[in-house]
This record gives sequence, C-alpha cells and structure tokens, in this order.
Amino acid sequence: MNTQETLLWINEQFSHTNELVQKTLEYEQKNIAYMYIKSLIDNEMLQKTIIKPFFEMANMEQFKLYVQALPQFEEVPAKEQVLLEIMNGSILLEIGNELCLIDLKLSKNDEVSSASVEMTIHGSQIALSDNLLTNLNLIRSYYRQPTLNIEYMSLGEVNQQKVAIVYDTEKVNTQALKLIKEKLQRVDKQVISAANQFNNYLNDKRFSLFPQMIMTEPPDRIIYNIAGGKVVILQDGSSQCLAAPVVFFDFMNTMEDDYHTVIISTFLRLLRYLGFFISLLLPSIYVGVTSYAPEVFRTELALTVAGSRMGVPFSSFVEVLFMLFFMELLLEASIRLPKAVSATATTVGGLILGTAVTEASLASNIMVIIVSAVAISTFVIPVNEMAFAIRIVRLLLIVITSIFGLAGLTLGFLVFILYLTSLDSYGEPYLRVYNYKKNKERSEGHL
Amino acid sequence: MQKIQSKLKLLFIFSILFFLSGCEEFKDVDKDVFVSMIGIDLSEDKDKPYKVILKLFVPTSSFKQNPEANYTYLVEKGETLSEAIRMLETHIDKELDFGHMKLIVIGEELINNNKTKEILDFLLRRPDIQLISWITVGRPNAEEIVKMVPAGETAAYPSLYNYFDGNGTESPYIVTTFLFDFRRRMMDNGLDPILPIVQVSENKTTFTVNKSFVLKDKKTPFELDSLSTLVFNTLSMNVQMADIEVNEENELFVARLDKIKAKNKVKVQKDNQVSLEIDAKLVGYIAESENALNMRDLPKYSQLLEKEAKDKITKFMKLLQSEGIDPIGFGLKYKAQTIHHKRMSTEKWKEAYKNADVKVKVSASLKSTGSIQ
Repeated sequence: MNTQETLLWINEQFSHTNELVQKTLEYEQKNIAYMYIKSLIDNEMLQKTIIKPFFEMANMEQFKLYVQALPQFEEVPAKEQVLLEIMNGSILLEIGNELCLIDLKLSKNDEVSSASVEMTIHGSQIALSDNLLTNLNLIRSYYRQPTLNIEYMSLGEVNQQKVAIVYDTEKVNTQALKLIKEKLQRVDKQVISAANQFNNYLNDKRFSLFPQMIMTEPPDRIIYNIAGGKVVILQDGSSQCLAAPVVFFDFMNTMEDDYHTVIISTFLRLLRYLGFFISLLLPSIYVGVTSYAPEVFRTELALTVAGSRMGVPFSSFVEVLFMLFFMELLLEASIRLPKAVSATATTVGGLILGTAVTEASLASNIMVIIVSAVAISTFVIPVNEMAFAIRIVRLLLIVITSIFGLAGLTLGFLVFILYLTSLDSYGEPYLRVYNYKKNKERSEGHL
Repeated sequence: MQKIQSKLKLLFIFSILFFLSGCEEFKDVDKDVFVSMIGIDLSEDKDKPYKVILKLFVPTSSFKQNPEANYTYLVEKGETLSEAIRMLETHIDKELDFGHMKLIVIGEELINNNKTKEILDFLLRRPDIQLISWITVGRPNAEEIVKMVPAGETAAYPSLYNYFDGNGTESPYIVTTFLFDFRRRMMDNGLDPILPIVQVSENKTTFTVNKSFVLKDKKTPFELDSLSTLVFNTLSMNVQMADIEVNEENELFVARLDKIKAKNKVKVQKDNQVSLEIDAKLVGYIAESENALNMRDLPKYSQLLEKEAKDKITKFMKLLQSEGIDPIGFGLKYKAQTIHHKRMSTEKWKEAYKNADVKVKVSASLKSTGSIQ
C-alpha cells in the first residue's frame, strides 16, 4: 500500500469529525504534509520540533535526517496501527512520499499524586499518577534491574486502553505469569476504565468474595511486590495497580512494617490481627453468648448485659443486625459525600444516632459499644478490599450464630478457614505464609 | 439456568430457616435470671425434707446508678431437690440460670443427718451448676446465711464470694472446697471431705468463716476448731501465709510465716505398723512481741517456733488419729505407693492409721525481728 492510499484511508476514518487537522507546508522547494488530532497534540512542541526547523533547514535531505533523529520518531507500521497511534497523540508526517509518526502527545495527567487510599506515616507519600508512562517511569527509576520486563497490551474493544504487565523476569512466579497473560488475552470487554476491574475480569468464578489481586498505589509497595516475584498490572488512566498472585497475609501487611523496629512492628501486627478478629467475631460472640451461653461472661458483666437489654424490644441478633446495618450505611454514605459534608454525617450518624438509639432503648448500651468497636477495628485492616470482604463474612457469621449458637459460630469460623484454604490466587494457595526461600525452591523444582 | 434456579431455591429454603430461630435454645439474656447462691436446708416437714433457698441477682443496667446489692429470694420445700427447684420455676417469670452460681450452702442439720450424698448427686447431675462452685456449711442453717446481705456489699458480687475466691481475704483460717474437690473426697477412700463453716458474726453484719467440718462415713461430722483449721491449711499447703503464736521460755511472740512448705510421707514397717512423717519448712518474720527482741537471737527464736509448731502439729495429728479422720490424705498416699496385693484392707488401714507413729520435723527460719534496729 502506498503513501497516498494510507492517507486517504485515514482521512476516510475521520470523515465524521472535524478534529483531524491536515496541513501542507511548502517553502523553498521543501514540502511536507502532516495530520493530527487537534485536542491530543502539544502545540508548542509541534511548533518547536517540526515547524520551526522546517523553515530553518537548508534542504529536504537535512530535514528528513533531522526528523529521523528525533526521539519521538517512529516508523510507520500497518495502517490500523497508524490510526491507533494518531488517536494516541502522534502526528503523521509525510516527507517526500514517505510516512513517519512523531509522538507529540499532550498529557495533563502525568503528575504524581500523593497517596490517598493507602495512608502511611513512614512509608512513601507519593502514589501513582493517571498516566501509564509516568507510572512506568516511577517504577523503572525505583527498581534498577535490567531484568525488569514490561509488556504492553491494549484491551477494551471500544476504548483500546493501554495495559502494561510489569515483572522481574528472574524472580517472577512463572506459572502465575502464564496464567495472568492467558486470562488477559481472553478479556472480552467493551470498555475498560480502571485497573481494578481486572480483579473481576481475570477471575473465572462467577461469585467470589475475597480479592485475588492486591490493589495498591505507593511505589514502595509496588517495588516490594515485583521483587517478591509478583506480576504487576498497570493501566493507562488508572492511578492504582494490581499485583498478583497474593496470599491472605499480604492484605494484613503494610509497608510500614519494615520501616519500624522489630518490636514495634510485631506489636502493630498483633494489634492488626486482633482488630481483624474483633471485627470478624465480636458481634457474633455477643449474640452467641448473650442468647445461648451467658455463663461465659463474668457475673458482673452478665448482669450488666442483662440489665442494659431491659426494655429493648428486639432479640439480640436483630439488635446486632439493626445496628450493624446503620453502621454500614454510615460507612457507605461517608465515602460518597463531599469532604465538607462527611464530617457532619459521621457526627450525626455516630454520636447522635448512637445516644438516641440507647435512650429510646432500641438497642442496649453495650450493643453501641460493640458496634463502634467493630467499626474501628474494621479500619485497622490495611487493605480496603479485605475489609469489605470481612464485613460480609461477619454478617454470615452473625446469621449462623443466631441459629446455631456458639457451636455454630465455631463451626462457621471453621468453614471460613476451610474456604480460605480452598482458594488460590493464580496457583498460589491463598492461606499460605509467604516464604521467599521456599518459593524459590518450589519454582526451581526442589519442592 | 436450571442450576442457578435450583441454587436459588436452596437459598430460599435456607432463608426460611432463619425465621425459625425462635427455637427452644435461643433465649435472650434478659429472659434469664441468674442465681447467685443456693442454700439447702432440712425442713420440718417429714414428707418434704428438703428446703431450697435461692438467692437471685436483680439485674440493673448500671452499677453506678445502683451500687447497692439487690436480691430476691425464692424458698420452696420438696421431696427431692429437683422437685423443689421445679416448683421454684413457677415462682418467677424468667428462666432460672445456675451458670453464675458460685456458692452452695448446706445447712448444718443436713450435714448432721448425713444427707450429703443425695445433695451431691443433684449438684453434680445438673448441667448448669459449675463444678468450680464453692461448697460450704451454713450455721445454724443455710437460709440465714443465704438471706443475709452484709453491710457494704457491692452489687453483682456477693461478699461471701470474697471469702473463698482468693482475691478478697486470704486468711489461713478459711478452708476452700470446690464442688469437684468435694466430690473427689467423697468418692475416694483415704481422703476425707472437709467443708468450711459459715456463721453470721455476733453483731449480725458480717460472716465469720474460721471453722470446718470433716465428714466421716455414716457418722456425725467432726468439727475442727479455728486452730485446727489453721494447722490443716498449713499442712495441706492451702495457704501462703499464717500466723503462729509462740509462748515458751518467757518469750511471747507471733511469727508471721510467708513461706510454708509441708511434705508428708507414709512409711510402713513390718506387721502393719505405720509411721506418718511430716516435714514442714516455715519461713517468716516476727510480727508482734511482748519483749524486746534481738537480731542476734533469731536462731533461738526460730528454735522456739519449731518447738511450738511441732507441738501444734503433733496435737492436731493426735486429734485426727483419735477421731479416725484423714482430711490430709495419708490413706490415699498409702494406697498410691503400695501395690494392690500387698495393701492392707480399708478397715485394717483405719486401725493402723489410728495407731500410727507420728514423726513431725519442723525447720523454721525467721528472717527478721520485724523491726529496724
């Protein structure tokens, strides 16, 4: 296919829009033609790199060499690819009956943002930007290894989103890498808007509760994951990335664990696991103990609980579900609200509702304490997705406990552990304690 | 599609189960009433010999607003204990829950009438009575003990509990017997049950617990006085602290012992002659004295203490032997260390125990005169 035909074909593709700019420059026996999409191009760069030199160069030969030397220069591939590149912010340049592409993309989203989801005190304060290239730049500049490999794909039939798979070829879990690539190729969606969607798209199960990939944003955690043999998936336009395979304990870790002294971080970890169990079990234990086995309490506590439940019209499990329901509403509402309003919402919901509910004796004082303890300890779980999953498991445990008592709770918890054990994330057992040494030995076939 | 439908059906059926939760076991804690102690007395009625007194906690939502102890009492007679309790259930609107009952008071008359076996049987069979509850004897009867609320009792924790739980008073005169221990002592040969006696003090405001009963098979129980109870507690190492008054060789002082170790041995010679060896180690200081004491004479005071303690222990042992009671468990020790075909019969052992030699060895060391010189 020759140059003119390609140009014609591209023109045809854009015939419905007037965004495509076509220009021809002629000056002292020099002539070039170019086309680009107006809203994607950095005009200043265009002026500096193409137009100005064109008028200053002595002849066509020199200009052609100059263009080929530009770092943004690209050979012209197939015409479909050319179309895509134009839509990505390249300009198509015709010099003496030859075509070339020059990337002059204007990106306004390449600024590294500060961490907003994973807040830390000691860890990295920056997070990824929305721009894929900036993100890759960040990762490359923090992970100085020639073995760091980046593979690109474009997914989403309509929006053709750029997706990058980043891993260290020497350390990566090859089995997981193979699986992830296979599954990525099979993704058949019209629009892909954020990297987080892959958590569902790469999952073969229809209903799944626990995340199979960990969503993260600070670069120190990404580097840590790559070095640990994980595959990181980044997507253009998404300031979060996904790492896989994961084990359950990854969700209970923060990067700060490595930045504190051993005793402090052990204490914090203990605190976190304690919070995890409280948020998972406390409401069910309340139901089970008050309604099935009040002997378990200390005498004083049993009497206080019994006393504070006086006049409460509901059974203990209805009381728990009722209060938890309002807590969940409050959580959900405060996410969506603008910052200025959300403070008011939490005050109204938490403080006023809490006191009013006990005063109207719709719930006992102790119930309000339990619900707030549960709400606080849910926030202790460092990764958000796990906290969401735990909230659902908690509800299931309450239901089981209100039917079968403490024995049911024990059994339900056992089933929960069995379920976690049966899960795997891209071939990695979900409840396995991550061990670099063993992992390496396994990948080398010693285990 | 079919699969999803059947799954949905299953889900629906399970969600119906949820509404069935009003089943018999589910009971909210405010529909229970907790029993704090049970008293069992002998009634005057011949047909209904048992009189059961229950002390019930009245729940309050805040102990800060109601710091005073609040109880209700239920009293009923019955032919059996279960019958009495079944009738008591008709006296109150809530379910009786014995799960928090920590104290069992048996009237003195019942003990004297040898009804302990029947009572124990009931207490052990009922699943919600905990085996870690304390068992005591009420003097003159259980009702008086159970119904008394001493001044200054805090809500939700009866002050009588404090006598036995080791958190309140730690007096060496108090014998603590758990229900499980009591049962073991009842069942075993060679280890006699011992129960503390709870009395109401003379001014009717507090309890007094400093005597104990040792039960004998089919005989009236033997009462140990305060001193014997103290020696028993020392020998069985139930206590960490004890006071011994020494009055010898013109010295009168009280030794406060803070470390007590007692070992006992049973040695069998030929022709069933038994010797009981007691080896006690006492460490402490002098807490009170008539005369001025000298640091240098501490070894002498220790010797005096040894002599006094030896006297007391020997006297106590003679008492046990003459009565044929064995709360310390020499008989059990003998059984444990002798092979069964060489062992003497229970009757023979009882005879041998009565005639046994008692060898008491006390080594005391007083560390200080208790004052700075």
